[in-house]
Amino acid sequence: MRHLGILALAAFILLPLVQAILLSFTATLPTDQLAEGTIGLMNYRNVLADPELRAAMVNSLIYVTLNVALCITIGLPAAYALARYRFTGDRHFLLLILVFRVTPPVVLSLPIFILFSHFGLVNSPVGIALVHCLFNLPVAIWILESFIRAVPREFDETAFLDGHTGLSFFFRHLIPQIAPGIGVAAFFCFIFSWVEVVFARILTVTGGKPITMAIQAMFTFQTDIGMVMAMTCLSLVPGVAMIWFVRNHLARGFTLRA
Amino acid sequence: MRPHDNRAWFLVLPALALLGLVGALPLLAVINYGFHDIFTLSDVFWVGPQWFTDILQSDRFLASLGRSLLFSTLALGVQVPLGIGVALLLLTYGKRAVWGLMLVALPLVVPWNMIPMFWLGLVQPETGLLGPGLAAIGFDWKFTGWHTWALILVVDTWHWLGLVVVLAYAGLSAIPPAYRQAAAIDGASRWAVFRHIELPRISGALAIVFLLRFVDSFMIYTEAFAINAGGPQDATRFLTLELGEEIKGFSYGQAAARATLYFLIVLAVVWAFVAATREREG
Repeated sequence: MRHLGILALAAFILLPLVQAILLSFTATLPTDQLAEGTIGLMNYRNVLADPELRAAMVNSLIYVTLNVALCITIGLPAAYALARYRFTGDRHFLLLILVFRVTPPVVLSLPIFILFSHFGLVNSPVGIALVHCLFNLPVAIWILESFIRAVPREFDETAFLDGHTGLSFFFRHLIPQIAPGIGVAAFFCFIFSWVEVVFARILTVTGGKPITMAIQAMFTFQTDIGMVMAMTCLSLVPGVAMIWFVRNHLARGFTLRA
Repeated sequence: MRPHDNRAWFLVLPALALLGLVGALPLLAVINYGFHDIFTLSDVFWVGPQWFTDILQSDRFLASLGRSLLFSTLALGVQVPLGIGVALLLLTYGKRAVWGLMLVALPLVVPWNMIPMFWLGLVQPETGLLGPGLAAIGFDWKFTGWHTWALILVVDTWHWLGLVVVLAYAGLSAIPPAYRQAAAIDGASRWAVFRHIELPRISGALAIVFLLRFVDSFMIYTEAFAINAGGPQDATRFLTLELGEEIKGFSYGQAAARATLYFLIVLAVVWAFVAATREREG
């Protein structure tokens, strides 16, 4: 009975992916050399041979990496403060990050575009990396905070007695201790940033197109759906790798502190 | 107890500054635009609360609001129980549950704009894996309103079930085994164990699930637009689709007023929610 449930779940989750993977290995537009329906790697070859698509993958990787790095470096001190101290306005701060996490991107897209074009951040991966912090930084803070709180206070005090202060405490003691938490936070920041489309679209007008927009641009008058699916399958690879890396810590999840 | 120390603000300051730049500043701008008629950025006129009264008095807005609320209710009603169910099921597998978690997390890494494409391909009557079967039983997502609803709901569930499962599983697996053993000795029914032991212990995890799923389904755009662009006959015209139309039509003033209203609705929900959470925690 319970195996049946798992099988039904697996079928439901995998079905769309299976169709996409099948299509990615199928020639869907007939060409001179290939008949429609031929099975092979041609779609992947075409994707990798296209400099624009390659550039899109690099763009996406750059801004997602930047975003994850930003969220962790800025989120870690804030998470530490929230886990270890009470301070005037701490609850307001928690409420604030919750509000920003749930603000729909489409609400802010227009002023973000105007603001960022003033700073020359349109068409640049830096702009997207910054704006994705809007919803990723709160998540990073929640996750890191719960991991830091699980470390006993005495751990900090011992390190301080040993003469570690500030930065050396963070790097030599705290970070190794909560490494899984950093992994989980990085995972959630990564996936929310990698798959996001609203900001990614509005901030890339002429260049710096991320992978999501490059896929969108492949839908034309005569769409080579096999090639679209090949590109999509490639876009899943980093995410699947991330899932694999954090698999044993994924179950820690995150809870809300408000 | 954590000590009170306002120097902790120095650690929070970078986060606050960044959120101010990408969150608070644009938000103030959007509220300000909402009171203006914007032709170009140098051609802006004050119109006062006109857009707001226009929107609030239009039947279309109220109808869309109703549809969005109904969609969120359905999404939460399906995904939360299903997610908890899957998490409970995975819990019985012990260490092997990690494979299940990886499975349900897969849809989370698919680019949002490709999720509707996957499903449209799947239900395509001629070529989709499910298409011929669905066509045979008369499933027609293009022209029958509630079929479109069903499809969007299935797609949204496919996309987000993983988040519910992961967070619910996290809460459930943190329950000390002694609780369940004690319940077993008392001869408690499966339902009683869930109702009195598991549910209270995962309420914290469920809180964030409820909030995230409510807001994201309330503001669903990418999937809903790609699947039927609000059709048939406006049957799936959600709030965000109206906003999208105004932005595409360059009616920036109206769009900003509408965005402000949406933000206020979300804010009200968050506030009610946080108040309820704090009440419960005392």
